[in-house]
Amino acid sequence: MATGLAGLAAGRVLGASAARGAGVTDTEFVLGMSAAFSGPSRGLGIELYRGASAFFEHVNGRDGVGGRRVALKTYDDGYQPDPSVKNTMTLMLEDEVFLLFGYVGTPTVTRVLPMLKKFQDRGMYLFFPFTGAQPQRQPPYGDFAFNLRASYAQETAGLVDNFVRVGRRRIAVFYQADAYGRSGWAGVRAALGRHGERIAGEASYRRGTQFTASMRPQVEILKAAEPDAVVCIGAYAACAGFARDAVDLGLRVPIANLSFVGSENLLKLLAEGRDDPREYTDLLVNSQVVPSYEDVSIPAVREYRDLMERYDPEPPGELVQEAYTPFPQSFVSLEGFLNAKLLVEVLSRLEEPPTRRGLEQAVFSVKDFDLGIGERVSFGPERRQGLQQVYYTVVDEGRFVTLDDWQKRFAI
Amino acid sequence: MKVKKLFQKTLFGVFSLFGFIGLSTSILCVYTVDTHLSEEYVSNSQDIAKTIADASVDILLNRDLSTLQSLIDQFVEIQGIRYIYVTNEAGEYLAHTFVPGIPEEILAGDPSNTETVDRNLPGMGDFVEVGSPILAGVAGAVHVGMDTDLIALKIQRAIGQQVYLISIVFVVGVFAAIWLVNLAARPVGDVLAYAVAVARDAGGEGEEAVDPRHRRVLERDDEAGQLARLFLHCLRNGGPGEAPSGAPSGAAS
Repeated sequence: MATGLAGLAAGRVLGASAARGAGVTDTEFVLGMSAAFSGPSRGLGIELYRGASAFFEHVNGRDGVGGRRVALKTYDDGYQPDPSVKNTMTLMLEDEVFLLFGYVGTPTVTRVLPMLKKFQDRGMYLFFPFTGAQPQRQPPYGDFAFNLRASYAQETAGLVDNFVRVGRRRIAVFYQADAYGRSGWAGVRAALGRHGERIAGEASYRRGTQFTASMRPQVEILKAAEPDAVVCIGAYAACAGFARDAVDLGLRVPIANLSFVGSENLLKLLAEGRDDPREYTDLLVNSQVVPSYEDVSIPAVREYRDLMERYDPEPPGELVQEAYTPFPQSFVSLEGFLNAKLLVEVLSRLEEPPTRRGLEQAVFSVKDFDLGIGERVSFGPERRQGLQQVYYTVVDEGRFVTLDDWQKRFAI
Repeated sequence: MKVKKLFQKTLFGVFSLFGFIGLSTSILCVYTVDTHLSEEYVSNSQDIAKTIADASVDILLNRDLSTLQSLIDQFVEIQGIRYIYVTNEAGEYLAHTFVPGIPEEILAGDPSNTETVDRNLPGMGDFVEVGSPILAGVAGAVHVGMDTDLIALKIQRAIGQQVYLISIVFVVGVFAAIWLVNLAARPVGDVLAYAVAVARDAGGEGEEAVDPRHRRVLERDDEAGQLARLFLHCLRNGGPGEAPSGAPSGAAS
């Protein structure tokens, strides 16, 4: 099922000027997005979409990009690879969108990348997927994608380095049994290897596991390994379930999650129905690839909060069938917002008439671009990832805030 | 009149023959299907393990483990394959499909061993595990576990279909044999009935007094008619002598 944004009409797209490339008319850029809008990870797709929509609506309200509105054609893949591949086929071959944008997840993106290579004569690019995995950052598929966020390797390395620095050297891994989980697992393994350590223990879960499922077997496996900390490579439903059962079964060590987890959804699940959820959240530490949306000293955060409040984007109604209450702000929607902001900058740099072939040159022209978060963004043939910084957050007074002192919080 | 003994003996013979054929064919089928299907499953598993091993070389040397995981996740969707794991040359488990963790039985094994082994994994079932070395073993090995319960189910289904077919052939064959034996025995019964009727009237009004229904056998131009006419001839002449016209020479000699 698909839906559109900002009054997208397929007929108008099909009536494009012959001088333009596919997916672009004199009045519109049409982007294609396949993400999780259903299932246990739907919060990720919805929030990413909302953040991007806030900025696109803002731009469209100000005459668009060079007179062209930005329209987002969306499909739900439920965070499953096969629907993701099917949606991509539709977006590329039937909808003929200008580019692919804001895909969610490693197992999905990993399966889509070969399609971009297969249809490389069409010049289709994937912009800013919501995954830090390596396949879209290196050959043979790296040339077909542009990344904004830091990689999982950088996130896991940061977590491991900090844990080791505060004396927590025995690190176990709880991970999703798929490409995403393996990507994070490999990052932890490599980081520990640099410290002369190995993964202390590991346990996995199946993608799509709900919060209500028991994680007792996984907790027992990891508990037997006697870790000093656990790094979770998963989505919020399963990771919240694991954190809950770990505390209940007496595994009282710091539990780290990667940015993909969806921090607000994780916290919401752990806090729901509890008067004092601190027992379950005090030992959480989540790495992020964007700064805290609570830090209003950051210009892009102020802009994000302002536009989110002003437009309060609705989730794509036709795709979201299950109940979901959006967050006013979240790390995921902030990432979607920054993705959209950088993409608009890229689109504005396209030469007339805009074509897919011109996208790479437009991206590579982005040098020391100020996205408004402090870290400047640059791209080039050997640099297809815009941001490198990783942030760390902990729960304080029921919300994720920036972690300032690892020693004080997590030292043994 | 029915020729019960002849009928029963023939039927018993046919039944025994068909039974023997059916039983021996079924046993052969069970053996053949079991052997061939099992070998085919193992062979397919080995092919899959080799395919993954060949593809893993490039992935391990040039790419990342998430790509390798993605690869084995696609293969484990094939019916019958329950688990796959890939180890490096040091025996480290680089990618696998186990949830919630790698079973102790596998951790206790030698990951470099790529021989086919039978495994019983508590909570998972029975498996045939095949292996294939990566880059002749210097880069590790791929192991694929096939669900033997599923293999057994498939074999049982294949055997069941064959036995079902043989059973149908057997039943149809028996009924056909009954019909054919009946068909062959009826003229003999007619001759017998005629002979009995004539014998009852012997010394009385003569064979012309025999019920016309029984006399019809004399009009037949087959062996039964010849036998009846030979019997009549013998009766009229008081014993065997010159064969009547149309009687088999052997029968009169």
